[in-house]
Amino acid sequence: MSDAATAPEIHARASGSRRLAFLAAALAIAALPMVLTGNYWQTNLTVCAINVLLALGLDFILGYAGQLNLGQSAFYGLGAYVSTLLITKLGVPFWVAFAAGVAFSGIAGMILALFAVRLRGHYLAIASLAFAVITYQILLNWISLTQGPLGIYAIPPPPSIAIPGLPVIDFRNPVALFYLVAGFTLLVYFILDQLVRSPIGETLTAIREDDISAASLGINAAAWKVFAFGVGAAVGGAAGCFYATFVGTLVPDAFFITESFTILSMVIVGGMGTLIGPVWGAILLTLLPELLRDLGDLRLIVYGLALTLVVLFMPGGLVQAAHLVRAKLGFAKAAL
Amino acid sequence: MTATIVAQQAINGIVLGSLYVLVALGLTLIYGVLVQINFAHADFVTLGAFSAYFFMHLLGGGYLASIGVALIVGAVLGWLINVSIFAPLRHKGSELLPLIATIGVSVMMQNAMLAWFGPVPYAFETPYSQQVFRIAGTFFTAQSVIIIVVSLATIALLYAFMKFTFLGKALRAVAQDRETAGLMGINPNYLIMLTIVISSALAGMAGAMLAPVLVLTPFAGASVIVKAFAIVIIGGFGNVEGTILAGLLVGLIESFTTQYLDPGWIDIVVFGLLLLMLAFRPTGLIAERREENV
Repeated sequence: MSDAATAPEIHARASGSRRLAFLAAALAIAALPMVLTGNYWQTNLTVCAINVLLALGLDFILGYAGQLNLGQSAFYGLGAYVSTLLITKLGVPFWVAFAAGVAFSGIAGMILALFAVRLRGHYLAIASLAFAVITYQILLNWISLTQGPLGIYAIPPPPSIAIPGLPVIDFRNPVALFYLVAGFTLLVYFILDQLVRSPIGETLTAIREDDISAASLGINAAAWKVFAFGVGAAVGGAAGCFYATFVGTLVPDAFFITESFTILSMVIVGGMGTLIGPVWGAILLTLLPELLRDLGDLRLIVYGLALTLVVLFMPGGLVQAAHLVRAKLGFAKAAL
Repeated sequence: MTATIVAQQAINGIVLGSLYVLVALGLTLIYGVLVQINFAHADFVTLGAFSAYFFMHLLGGGYLASIGVALIVGAVLGWLINVSIFAPLRHKGSELLPLIATIGVSVMMQNAMLAWFGPVPYAFETPYSQQVFRIAGTFFTAQSVIIIVVSLATIALLYAFMKFTFLGKALRAVAQDRETAGLMGINPNYLIMLTIVISSALAGMAGAMLAPVLVLTPFAGASVIVKAFAIVIIGGFGNVEGTILAGLLVGLIESFTTQYLDPGWIDIVVFGLLLLMLAFRPTGLIAERREENV
């Protein structure tokens, strides 16, 4: 970055390896359902993809804009309920309902941020927690609309896509649904990656480090925080839409505030402020309890323990750990 | 008839409110000296309640003594969280890391209690829950009298401690300006530890008094703590008088919402009020003049 002449070269090399990484990720997504066959694993793969999406959304707000959002469970739930209600009550086509769910969550995030931007870290954390509690209670108590704790059943999968000359893509097939969710997640990752490496990303980071200094440079810190909240909440909403159609049933308990803490654990364990960190954090924390099936209900104890230990001993999460390992192996330069 | 209902709900509200005040005061005291939130405060309430329950039902202790046991359990938990979380993280200078770490502790504690104690509510009977007094159509139990008296006495003691003792003054000095207080020969680390221990003792004690009134489950504290957060913000973070006022207010809102709307609306009303406060009066009910450290 320091040498102007070599900067474009570095950038070109970086974007070249980035393209390779995206290609590798796409190939991995394509190959996974073939390697991990069987209903059990294919279900887990889709859960992983949904959790990665949730973690990416939270990380954009927490890791890049520096706002502790404990309301991600609410945006997740709003996306799920808005899209599902539009489909089941009004018969709106899936993709229109999907867009509406995403937009609704994004707008809710921006409204919450408008309330909260004047507040510093802890106030925002509590305001977003309050938002999560209110949303959960409304989902639970507005029985005429959401059927409360009884839940909504038989939510249809996305409609099949029939392209002439190709086999029909039927989303009742779990592999097709996984490809849809994982493909969308990869797309979101790509967009966020572009965003955080653009001047917008630098602006957000400046606000995260010191919003008063950023404001003194003419940056409208409040507006950018609202923007970050809108993007992160919309991504959470998209995850909700997929969750509803994937599981087929909706109950408010899926969007209890505990879900916010779960998503937070994924981001922190992976490494907040990087995009790749939350991806690995989400995958690890989704699969780890599955691998340790005998633990049963102790899943959340593992999450809590991981969250605390990572903050205390490795605040950069898996990403920091990977860097340390690489440095130990003598590739310190390559790691940078 | 309506006047009696109003009086009855006012009594219920004040009983609940004084318990919320005890829980919220701890949060606000810690925020005052440390500018941090202990998210696991809720679980100190719950574990305090369970230790009181087991002290009474397994060891055959008296109820008033069990409040003392819960207080000690709370104090020990406070000492532990200071040593393990707040003290090591204080030097990293991050605003959010300690909060996130205590969220982890909270998730851990809550689910550990769920694993040990199970989800089925425990019936925490005290000899005082059965004794009912009737005055002018309203009734209240000896339990609620104990709650109000113990809470009031604790709050008064705490107030006197803060205002009149050297330690209390030192504590306020640390809250106002940690560095200058340090230069005056006050050891801020010791006082921060002391504040967290006192606050957590209050939480444990509140648990022992809450459990006979509400249901005792591993989530008992969590349902109270979200209201305590609301109280702390409505009252103004770090503001003791505001917290007391807001605590009673939330207790009253809760009992009147139960009477005239529906219990399901309690959180919605309380948190709606919280969001409105944040939007229009983020300094809390009683605005305090504070220098912002930029």
